[in-house]
Amino acid sequence: MAKAFKYGLKGIKGYLEPAERELLRSLFDDVISMLEPEVRANEDPLAALVGLDTEAREPSDRAMRRLLPNVMKNDDDASLEFRRYTERSLRENKIGALKAAALSLDRDDLVLTPDDARHWATALNDVRLVLAERLDIRDDADADNVHLMQDWAQAEDVESYLALVYNFTTWLQESLVQAMVHSLDARR
Amino acid sequence: MTLSVALGPDTRESTQTGTVTSGDVLTAPDIPWNLVIWNDPVNLMSYVSYVFRSYFGYSEAKANKLMMEVHKKGRSIVAHGSKEQVEQHAVAMHGYGLWATVEKATGGNAGGSGKGKGKRG
Repeated sequence: MAKAFKYGLKGIKGYLEPAERELLRSLFDDVISMLEPEVRANEDPLAALVGLDTEAREPSDRAMRRLLPNVMKNDDDASLEFRRYTERSLRENKIGALKAAALSLDRDDLVLTPDDARHWATALNDVRLVLAERLDIRDDADADNVHLMQDWAQAEDVESYLALVYNFTTWLQESLVQAMVHSLDARR
Repeated sequence: MTLSVALGPDTRESTQTGTVTSGDVLTAPDIPWNLVIWNDPVNLMSYVSYVFRSYFGYSEAKANKLMMEVHKKGRSIVAHGSKEQVEQHAVAMHGYGLWATVEKATGGNAGGSGKGKGKRG
Protein backbone atom coordinates (compact mmCIF):
# COMPACT_ATOMS: atom_id res chain seq x y z
CA MET A 1 0.00 0.00 0.00
CA ALA A 2 1.37 3.41 -0.98
CA LYS A 3 2.28 5.90 1.71
CA ALA A 4 1.58 9.62 1.49
CA PHE A 5 4.50 11.86 0.51
CA LYS A 6 6.08 13.53 3.54
CA TYR A 7 8.49 16.44 3.76
CA GLY A 8 11.51 15.80 5.98
CA LEU A 9 15.20 16.42 6.37
CA LYS A 10 16.15 14.50 3.25
CA GLY A 11 13.52 16.07 1.07
CA ILE A 12 10.13 14.74 0.08
CA LYS A 13 9.79 11.03 0.66
CA GLY A 14 7.18 8.65 -0.59
CA TYR A 15 6.62 4.92 -0.76
CA LEU A 16 5.00 2.92 -3.54
CA GLU A 17 4.48 -0.81 -4.00
CA PRO A 18 5.97 -2.37 -7.15
CA ALA A 19 2.50 -2.71 -8.72
CA GLU A 20 1.78 0.97 -8.00
CA ARG A 21 5.10 1.97 -9.57
CA GLU A 22 4.21 -0.11 -12.62
CA LEU A 23 0.79 1.54 -12.88
CA LEU A 24 2.25 5.05 -12.65
CA ARG A 25 4.98 4.23 -15.16
CA SER A 26 2.38 3.13 -17.70
CA LEU A 27 0.23 6.23 -17.03
CA PHE A 28 3.22 8.53 -17.51
CA ASP A 29 4.15 6.64 -20.71
CA ASP A 30 0.59 6.94 -22.05
CA VAL A 31 0.55 10.71 -21.65
CA ILE A 32 4.08 10.97 -23.11
CA SER A 33 2.96 9.14 -26.25
CA MET A 34 -0.08 11.44 -26.52
CA LEU A 35 2.14 14.51 -26.32
CA GLU A 36 4.98 13.34 -28.55
CA PRO A 37 4.80 15.44 -31.71
CA GLU A 38 4.54 13.46 -34.90
CA VAL A 39 7.61 13.69 -37.10
CA ARG A 40 6.84 15.21 -40.47
CA ALA A 41 8.92 14.40 -43.52
CA ASN A 42 8.81 17.82 -45.11
CA GLU A 43 9.48 19.79 -41.95
CA ASP A 44 11.87 22.72 -41.94
CA PRO A 45 14.62 21.57 -39.52
CA LEU A 46 15.52 25.13 -38.53
CA ALA A 47 11.91 25.94 -37.68
CA ALA A 48 11.76 22.79 -35.54
CA LEU A 49 14.99 23.77 -33.84
CA VAL A 50 13.63 27.10 -32.69
CA GLY A 51 10.37 25.49 -31.61
CA LEU A 52 8.23 26.86 -34.42
CA ASP A 53 5.51 24.57 -35.70
CA THR A 54 3.72 26.05 -38.69
CA GLU A 55 1.47 23.00 -38.93
CA ALA A 56 0.21 23.16 -35.33
CA ARG A 57 -3.58 22.92 -35.01
CA GLU A 58 -5.99 23.05 -32.11
CA PRO A 59 -6.23 19.38 -31.02
CA SER A 60 -9.49 17.58 -31.82
CA ASP A 61 -9.21 15.32 -28.76
CA ARG A 62 -10.73 16.83 -25.59
CA ALA A 63 -7.95 15.61 -23.31
CA MET A 64 -5.33 17.07 -25.63
CA ARG A 65 -7.22 20.35 -25.77
CA ARG A 66 -7.09 20.46 -21.98
CA LEU A 67 -3.33 19.74 -21.94
CA LEU A 68 -2.63 22.25 -24.72
CA PRO A 69 -5.40 24.85 -24.43
CA ASN A 70 -6.06 27.91 -26.60
CA VAL A 71 -4.49 31.04 -25.13
CA MET A 72 -7.50 33.23 -25.97
CA LYS A 73 -11.11 32.44 -25.33
CA ASN A 74 -12.78 34.10 -28.28
CA ASP A 75 -10.04 34.47 -30.82
CA ASP A 76 -9.21 31.21 -32.60
CA ASP A 77 -6.93 32.88 -35.15
CA ALA A 78 -4.76 34.57 -32.55
CA SER A 79 -4.73 31.38 -30.46
CA LEU A 80 -3.55 29.37 -33.46
CA GLU A 81 -0.83 31.87 -34.26
CA PHE A 82 0.35 31.69 -30.63
CA ARG A 83 0.16 27.89 -30.66
CA ARG A 84 2.52 27.74 -33.63
CA TYR A 85 5.20 29.51 -31.63
CA THR A 86 4.71 27.90 -28.24
CA GLU A 87 3.05 24.49 -28.47
CA ARG A 88 6.13 22.49 -29.37
CA SER A 89 8.13 23.65 -26.35
CA LEU A 90 5.09 23.22 -24.10
CA ARG A 91 4.81 19.60 -25.28
CA GLU A 92 8.53 19.10 -24.71
CA ASN A 93 8.40 20.55 -21.19
CA LYS A 94 5.48 18.31 -20.27
CA ILE A 95 7.20 15.26 -21.75
CA GLY A 96 10.37 16.19 -19.84
CA ALA A 97 8.50 16.26 -16.53
CA LEU A 98 6.70 12.98 -17.27
CA LYS A 99 9.98 11.28 -18.23
CA ALA A 100 11.76 12.59 -15.13
CA ALA A 101 8.94 11.31 -12.92
CA ALA A 102 8.99 7.92 -14.69
CA LEU A 103 12.76 7.72 -14.26
CA SER A 104 12.63 8.31 -10.51
CA LEU A 105 10.32 5.29 -10.27
CA ASP A 106 13.37 3.14 -11.11
CA ARG A 107 15.14 4.17 -7.92
CA ASP A 108 14.75 2.00 -4.82
CA ASP A 109 13.95 4.92 -2.53
CA LEU A 110 11.40 7.47 -3.63
CA VAL A 111 13.08 10.60 -2.24
CA LEU A 112 12.35 13.68 -4.33
CA THR A 113 14.50 16.78 -4.76
CA PRO A 114 12.60 20.07 -5.26
CA ASP A 115 12.99 19.63 -9.05
CA ASP A 116 11.79 16.01 -8.88
CA ALA A 117 8.79 17.12 -6.83
CA ARG A 118 7.82 19.77 -9.38
CA HIS A 119 8.12 17.23 -12.18
CA TRP A 120 6.00 14.77 -10.23
CA ALA A 121 3.33 17.33 -9.44
CA THR A 122 2.89 18.41 -13.07
CA ALA A 123 3.18 14.83 -14.35
CA LEU A 124 0.47 13.62 -11.95
CA ASN A 125 -1.64 16.64 -12.85
CA ASP A 126 -1.41 15.91 -16.58
CA VAL A 127 -2.26 12.25 -15.97
CA ARG A 128 -5.32 13.31 -13.96
CA LEU A 129 -6.45 15.77 -16.64
CA VAL A 130 -6.36 12.97 -19.23
CA LEU A 131 -8.11 10.45 -16.97
CA ALA A 132 -10.77 13.04 -16.11
CA GLU A 133 -11.61 13.52 -19.79
CA ARG A 134 -11.85 9.76 -20.30
CA LEU A 135 -14.16 9.60 -17.24
CA ASP A 136 -16.24 12.53 -18.53
CA ILE A 137 -15.68 14.64 -15.42
CA ARG A 138 -17.29 17.94 -16.43
CA ASP A 139 -18.20 19.51 -13.10
CA ASP A 140 -17.77 19.13 -9.35
CA ALA A 141 -20.75 16.75 -9.11
CA ASP A 142 -19.12 14.40 -11.65
CA ALA A 143 -15.89 14.60 -9.67
CA ASP A 144 -17.74 13.75 -6.44
CA ASN A 145 -19.36 10.73 -8.10
CA VAL A 146 -16.02 9.43 -9.29
CA HIS A 147 -14.60 10.05 -5.84
CA LEU A 148 -17.14 7.62 -4.31
CA MET A 149 -15.39 4.76 -6.08
CA GLN A 150 -12.78 3.65 -3.56
CA ASP A 151 -12.96 -0.13 -3.36
CA TRP A 152 -10.77 -2.10 -5.76
CA ALA A 153 -13.02 -5.14 -5.18
CA GLN A 154 -15.77 -3.20 -6.97
CA ALA A 155 -13.73 -2.70 -10.14
CA GLU A 156 -15.79 -4.65 -12.62
CA ASP A 157 -15.40 -2.60 -15.81
CA VAL A 158 -13.03 -0.17 -17.48
CA GLU A 159 -14.92 2.85 -16.13
CA SER A 160 -14.73 1.80 -12.49
CA TYR A 161 -11.09 0.79 -12.92
CA LEU A 162 -10.30 4.24 -14.39
CA ALA A 163 -12.16 5.88 -11.51
CA LEU A 164 -10.03 3.99 -8.98
CA VAL A 165 -6.87 4.93 -10.82
CA TYR A 166 -8.02 8.55 -10.93
CA ASN A 167 -8.70 8.55 -7.19
CA PHE A 168 -5.32 6.98 -6.47
CA THR A 169 -3.46 9.63 -8.52
CA THR A 170 -5.56 12.38 -6.90
CA TRP A 171 -4.65 11.16 -3.42
CA LEU A 172 -0.99 10.85 -4.38
CA GLN A 173 -0.86 14.35 -5.89
CA GLU A 174 -2.64 15.87 -2.89
CA SER A 175 -0.14 14.32 -0.49
CA LEU A 176 2.74 15.51 -2.69
CA VAL A 177 1.41 19.08 -2.87
CA GLN A 178 0.96 19.15 0.93
CA ALA A 179 4.59 18.08 1.31
CA MET A 180 5.67 20.74 -1.21
CA VAL A 181 3.72 23.40 0.70
CA HIS A 182 5.53 22.31 3.88
CA SER A 183 8.89 22.64 2.14
CA LEU A 184 7.85 26.10 0.88
CA ASP A 185 6.91 27.15 4.42
CA ALA A 186 10.12 25.69 5.84
CA ARG A 187 12.24 27.81 3.51
CA ARG A 188 10.66 31.06 4.69
CA MET B 1 10.35 25.78 -14.87
CA THR B 2 11.04 29.42 -15.57
CA LEU B 3 11.33 31.88 -12.75
CA SER B 4 9.11 34.90 -13.04
CA VAL B 5 8.86 38.34 -11.55
CA ALA B 6 5.72 38.77 -9.49
CA LEU B 7 3.58 41.64 -10.63
CA GLY B 8 2.40 44.24 -8.15
CA PRO B 9 -0.90 43.35 -6.54
CA ASP B 10 -2.72 46.61 -6.98
CA THR B 11 -2.03 47.68 -10.52
CA ARG B 12 -5.56 46.90 -11.65
CA GLU B 13 -7.18 49.54 -9.48
CA SER B 14 -4.99 52.23 -10.97
CA THR B 15 -6.14 51.49 -14.51
CA GLN B 16 -9.72 52.26 -13.56
CA THR B 17 -9.24 55.77 -12.29
CA GLY B 18 -8.36 58.03 -15.20
CA THR B 19 -10.96 59.00 -17.78
CA VAL B 20 -9.61 59.07 -21.26
CA THR B 21 -9.87 62.34 -23.09
CA SER B 22 -10.42 62.39 -26.79
CA GLY B 23 -6.83 63.45 -27.36
CA ASP B 24 -5.35 60.27 -25.87
CA VAL B 25 -4.10 57.71 -28.28
CA LEU B 26 -3.50 54.26 -26.91
CA THR B 27 -0.77 52.44 -28.72
CA ALA B 28 -0.72 48.66 -28.49
CA PRO B 29 1.92 48.27 -25.74
CA ASP B 30 -0.03 50.66 -23.51
CA ILE B 31 -3.13 48.51 -23.37
CA PRO B 32 -2.92 46.29 -20.30
CA TRP B 33 -3.65 42.60 -20.58
CA ASN B 34 -4.96 40.16 -17.99
CA LEU B 35 -3.97 36.61 -17.22
CA VAL B 36 -7.15 34.67 -16.41
CA ILE B 37 -7.27 31.29 -14.64
CA TRP B 38 -10.44 29.25 -15.19
CA ASN B 39 -12.06 26.78 -12.83
CA ASP B 40 -12.10 23.10 -13.65
CA PRO B 41 -13.21 20.09 -11.61
CA VAL B 42 -9.84 18.35 -11.76
CA ASN B 43 -7.11 20.64 -10.47
CA LEU B 44 -6.63 20.39 -6.72
CA MET B 45 -7.24 23.58 -4.75
CA SER B 46 -3.99 23.00 -2.88
CA TYR B 47 -2.12 22.62 -6.16
CA VAL B 48 -3.58 25.79 -7.73
CA SER B 49 -2.68 27.76 -4.61
CA TYR B 50 0.81 26.23 -4.59
CA VAL B 51 1.36 27.25 -8.22
CA PHE B 52 0.32 30.84 -7.46
CA ARG B 53 2.75 30.92 -4.54
CA SER B 54 5.73 29.32 -6.19
CA TYR B 55 5.44 30.79 -9.70
CA PHE B 56 4.23 34.32 -8.97
CA GLY B 57 5.79 34.55 -5.52
CA TYR B 58 2.43 35.52 -4.02
CA SER B 59 1.87 35.25 -0.27
CA GLU B 60 -0.10 32.28 1.03
CA ALA B 61 -3.05 34.59 1.80
CA LYS B 62 -3.10 36.13 -1.67
CA ALA B 63 -2.64 32.76 -3.39
CA ASN B 64 -5.54 31.27 -1.41
CA LYS B 65 -7.77 34.27 -2.12
CA LEU B 66 -7.16 34.02 -5.87
CA MET B 67 -7.62 30.23 -5.78
CA MET B 68 -10.98 30.62 -3.99
CA GLU B 69 -12.05 33.21 -6.54
CA VAL B 70 -11.31 30.72 -9.34
CA HIS B 71 -13.22 28.04 -7.46
CA LYS B 72 -16.29 30.10 -6.58
CA LYS B 73 -16.61 32.56 -9.46
CA GLY B 74 -15.30 30.28 -12.18
CA ARG B 75 -12.39 32.53 -13.09
CA SER B 76 -9.93 34.99 -11.64
CA ILE B 77 -7.52 37.55 -13.00
CA VAL B 78 -4.27 36.54 -11.34
CA ALA B 79 -1.79 38.84 -13.09
CA HIS B 80 -1.62 41.68 -15.55
CA GLY B 81 0.98 43.31 -17.72
CA SER B 82 1.92 43.68 -21.35
CA LYS B 83 0.54 41.17 -23.84
CA GLU B 84 3.95 39.48 -24.02
CA GLN B 85 4.20 39.19 -20.23
CA VAL B 86 0.80 37.63 -19.71
CA GLU B 87 1.30 35.30 -22.69
CA GLN B 88 4.51 34.08 -21.09
CA HIS B 89 2.63 33.49 -17.84
CA ALA B 90 -0.12 31.64 -19.73
CA VAL B 91 2.37 29.19 -21.24
CA ALA B 92 3.89 28.63 -17.81
CA MET B 93 0.39 27.97 -16.37
CA HIS B 94 -0.32 25.50 -19.21
CA GLY B 95 2.95 23.82 -18.25
CA TYR B 96 1.56 23.36 -14.72
CA GLY B 97 -1.72 22.10 -16.17
CA LEU B 98 -3.80 25.10 -15.15
CA TRP B 99 -6.37 26.40 -17.63
CA ALA B 100 -5.17 29.92 -18.44
CA THR B 101 -6.11 32.48 -21.09
CA VAL B 102 -5.11 36.06 -21.79
CA GLU B 103 -7.47 38.93 -22.51
CA LYS B 104 -7.33 42.67 -22.99
CA ALA B 105 -8.06 44.42 -19.72
CA THR B 106 -11.45 46.10 -19.80
CA GLY B 107 -10.54 48.91 -17.45
CA GLY B 108 -13.00 51.13 -19.29
CA ASN B 109 -10.42 52.95 -21.35
CA ALA B 110 -9.25 50.47 -23.93
CA GLY B 111 -10.31 52.02 -27.20
CA GLY B 112 -11.52 55.06 -25.32
CA SER B 113 -15.16 54.01 -25.20
CA GLY B 114 -15.26 54.28 -21.41
CA LYS B 115 -18.17 51.91 -21.00
CA GLY B 116 -18.28 50.98 -17.36
CA LYS B 117 -19.12 47.32 -17.25
CA GLY B 118 -17.73 46.05 -20.50
CA LYS B 119 -17.52 42.33 -20.01
CA ARG B 120 -15.56 40.18 -22.36
CA GLY B 121 -16.89 36.79 -23.44
